Amino acid sequence: MTLSPATAGTTEVPVTPPEKVDPPDHRRIKSSRSRSQARAAYLFLAPWFIGLFAITLGPMIASLYLSFTDYSLLTEAKWVGWDNYVKMFTQDERFMTSLQVTTTYVVVSVPLQLAFALGLALVLDRGLRGLPFYRSVFYLPSLLGGSVAISILWRKIFGTDGIVNSFLGLFGYEGQGWVTSPDTALWTLIILHVWTFGAPMVIFLAGLRQIPQNLYEAASVDGAGRWRKFRSITLPLLTPIIFFNLVLEVIKSFQSFTQSFIVSGGNGGPVDSTLFYTLYLYIKGFKNYEMGYAAGMAWVLLLIIAVLTGVNFLMSRFWVFYGDDK
Amino acid sequence: MATTSKRVPVLFRPAPRLVRHVLLIAFGLFMLYPLLWMISSSIKPEELIFREPGLVPTEVTGANYTEGWAALKHTFGYYLWNSAVITVLAVVGNLLACSLAAYAFARLEFPLKKVWFAIMLGSIMLPHHVTVVPQYIMFAKFDWINTIWPIIAPKFLATDAFFIFLMVQFIRTLPRELDEAAAIDGAGHWRTFIRVIMPLCVPALATTAIFTFIWTWNDFFTQNLYLTNSDNLTVPVALRQFMDSSGESSWGPLFAMSIISLGPIFGFFLAGQKYLVRGMATTGLK
Amino acid sequence: MKIIKAATAITLLAISATACGSGGGGEAGESGGKTKVVFSYWGSDARQKLTESAIAAFEKKNPTIDIEGDFSDWDSYYEKLATKSAAGDAPDVMSIEIRGLAEYAGRGTLADLNGKVNTTDLDQDVLKAGQVEGKQFAIPTGVNTFPMIVNKATVEKAGEKVPDDTSWTWDDYIALSQKITEKGDGKVWGTEYNENPAFLQLYAAQRGEQFYKDGKIGLSEQTIKDWWTLLQKIISTKAGPDAAQMLETGTKVDQALLATNASAFGSWWSNQLTALSKGAGQDLDLLRMPKSEGATTAGMFLQPAMYYTISAKTEKADAAQKFVDFLVNDPEAGGILLSDRGMPTNAKVVTAIKDKLTPADQKVLTFIDSIKSELSPITVPPKGAMEMEDILKRATDSVLFGKATADDAAKAFITEANATLTK
Repeated sequence: MTLSPATAGTTEVPVTPPEKVDPPDHRRIKSSRSRSQARAAYLFLAPWFIGLFAITLGPMIASLYLSFTDYSLLTEAKWVGWDNYVKMFTQDERFMTSLQVTTTYVVVSVPLQLAFALGLALVLDRGLRGLPFYRSVFYLPSLLGGSVAISILWRKIFGTDGIVNSFLGLFGYEGQGWVTSPDTALWTLIILHVWTFGAPMVIFLAGLRQIPQNLYEAASVDGAGRWRKFRSITLPLLTPIIFFNLVLEVIKSFQSFTQSFIVSGGNGGPVDSTLFYTLYLYIKGFKNYEMGYAAGMAWVLLLIIAVLTGVNFLMSRFWVFYGDDK
Repeated sequence: MATTSKRVPVLFRPAPRLVRHVLLIAFGLFMLYPLLWMISSSIKPEELIFREPGLVPTEVTGANYTEGWAALKHTFGYYLWNSAVITVLAVVGNLLACSLAAYAFARLEFPLKKVWFAIMLGSIMLPHHVTVVPQYIMFAKFDWINTIWPIIAPKFLATDAFFIFLMVQFIRTLPRELDEAAAIDGAGHWRTFIRVIMPLCVPALATTAIFTFIWTWNDFFTQNLYLTNSDNLTVPVALRQFMDSSGESSWGPLFAMSIISLGPIFGFFLAGQKYLVRGMATTGLK
Repeated sequence: MKIIKAATAITLLAISATACGSGGGGEAGESGGKTKVVFSYWGSDARQKLTESAIAAFEKKNPTIDIEGDFSDWDSYYEKLATKSAAGDAPDVMSIEIRGLAEYAGRGTLADLNGKVNTTDLDQDVLKAGQVEGKQFAIPTGVNTFPMIVNKATVEKAGEKVPDDTSWTWDDYIALSQKITEKGDGKVWGTEYNENPAFLQLYAAQRGEQFYKDGKIGLSEQTIKDWWTLLQKIISTKAGPDAAQMLETGTKVDQALLATNASAFGSWWSNQLTALSKGAGQDLDLLRMPKSEGATTAGMFLQPAMYYTISAKTEKADAAQKFVDFLVNDPEAGGILLSDRGMPTNAKVVTAIKDKLTPADQKVLTFIDSIKSELSPITVPPKGAMEMEDILKRATDSVLFGKATADDAAKAFITEANATLTK
């Protein structure tokens, strides 16, 4: 039965499947219908195909072309071959800085944020009066995250006169301006990212709601404890959603822009400590009028993210469980 | 909530309710401090916002709200309406187009499926800053500047790959037996999609609707670029008009109108999260 | 099915909503027979209001011209302008400030306005700051100066006297600020400071050095290092706050220490005096910058706050020129815009609007008059000035935060900045 999550390496009592249905012969059905299926698929995908060819692909290819040019936006693009890419990896120290800053940011903040989101989703999924209210409250910061006011609000927390320092003051520790100090600025942005865990939390909540309740009931009948149920039902059935959040958060975090832009005032300072990759790309393209170079950076980023996502997908075979697995 | 409380997964030993409430409220307050500060600042006289930065206002006024509401060319309600129109259309577009595409990717076999899927994911990996210029040129050729099309049309054409992927993941958690049972009953793909898959995907659809709403509502970048006529401005663009990082900003009205503009998204979230309910799959497969 | 019904209902609702929406928006088929001129600018709601009424006044006088204001916030302004220019969709009249001028003028996006807009009544020295390679690509909207602003009440409360600004030195300034900090109970600093290139420009001018020379950095390493030493001294003597705190408020006029009564001195652009005074709820005054020991000039200069420029590709040059002419020369426009885009330099306009200015702006006007005889000349910075500012800021921060030695940072700054400028 595909529904029973057979987690490898555990010696737990298998949870009784809710009901028995003989698995139909996938292959036979498939081969007889494969043609009509492909036709149906293209119909279902029609809007997406139109969008891809009419809207998405053109600008993407254009940017790939521009990455081989010297393009100031205000004058015509000039073909320069691999120059932009060569310069990136051999001469541009700030490029390397931005790569390093962004990697730190992704590696630290994504797991933290997902752990927070999952933890709270689990707490907020249970019967407690006022849960919708709490959920909304915890979601609110995510609504504020990209707001123009966030730089001020963030300073109210981590600034010289912010609440963090007031709190530290209680213990006699005189704090500094955390947002504007080169050693701590990136960490406040990481906290800002974790603080806006609302989006993955909602997705986790939706995922939890998708888990068939009868599995839990059946497990209770079998005498499974709370931890056992979590390990062998909730977690495995939630893996596609965990996987989704992981893939997407990695992509999104690599592209983080707004927070650093707003909090650092658009220059990635102090001393490049918050120079995110996309921020540097933006500075190159729109402030220094080197759009060709920026386009090159964009495609390097695409490659990096694509490789990571590819690895993610390969790894997913070992830990992600799909309801439609055969 | 109460009626389902017996069925919900119970993962932790239930701490006394009061304790849990207190913990959640304390954590909530911590999370909300910036928002509370903003609310408090929005009811202070503008010149006191930074001079007296405490959380409790010494002087309360509604002036920021009345001023902010009327400060721009139109009243703020006008921009709220503009945003609402765009946002609702975007939600509809994404729900329709992304669910169709997701069904195909999750359930149907077709040539080059993996390649198309990779291209779909790849399309969200490129930072938009480098596609914006070619895209602007393209939309300008379509004569779409200062219309809602550059914002709406992509949604109806499923360019938000994020949501396709989201729904693919949700659909894939559903057992195949469901489709196959429907197929044996003689249902085609369309009917399976409408009758079997979609009803089970209500949480995913709700998630898509919520996020599309919020992201479109807050999307400054596209709207700022394509809706430049002062009659076409939307909320995020209007809000920035209170701010001048090269000079003096109108913080009071900015905070006040920011809070007002949080209203619709918060309301939509409250309404939408009701649909993060257990679908039919929760009570067993029929 | 419920869902389908709901979706259909929503779609219908949405479609009817757009119908109303676009009806109300009214962008289609407007301006019958009128020449439409797009005018782009940045700022906040206050500027937008003033600009819209100036536009209305212009349209009343020129019923055949329809001006469409294309308004952005500062952070997205150049990005939008560059995108539109790249798409051949540049606004007819564009606001540009001094750091972006060479970029746009040098790449052939701007029209030469020599003889196209009447400039006879404008300050001719300031007008030169709108020329690139001998062509008048830009008309200054008004001027600013970069003075030391003082809160006299705070100085006097500390039992000190307001200094004589014609003779005070950097040492006087630091010593005085230090005393004020000491008496400030941890609530008031003597001075705030910033990393504005204008500050360095003044400092260098006192030594007879120019910021830019022949399209490159004209500053000597020593001058840059001494300027950093000055900043470091402010920090180490506690005349002003540490670098992290200064970065928090250093460029935000609303949150400035002066605007929150938390310091006695601070240097800001002169058109920010009104905002600072409003925040402080007290009168503030302008002083000349302190001098270096033995310097003959305080290095004060006037700089265009921004410029009006016209796109080289516009098909409505006549209407666009008329509009720019109105903005800089017509007392009616001046009476509406006042000092919003810097203090006007058109003598006739200034006379007409003098009484309408805020008390703070009248102080600025008097101050500008008083320094007129001692001004240092200004030039348009070369291409890459915007980036230069970031490079300078990075170098300054790295010194102030102890991430680099002043020697290394100064060398690195000059090399990096010159590489950018000659690109």
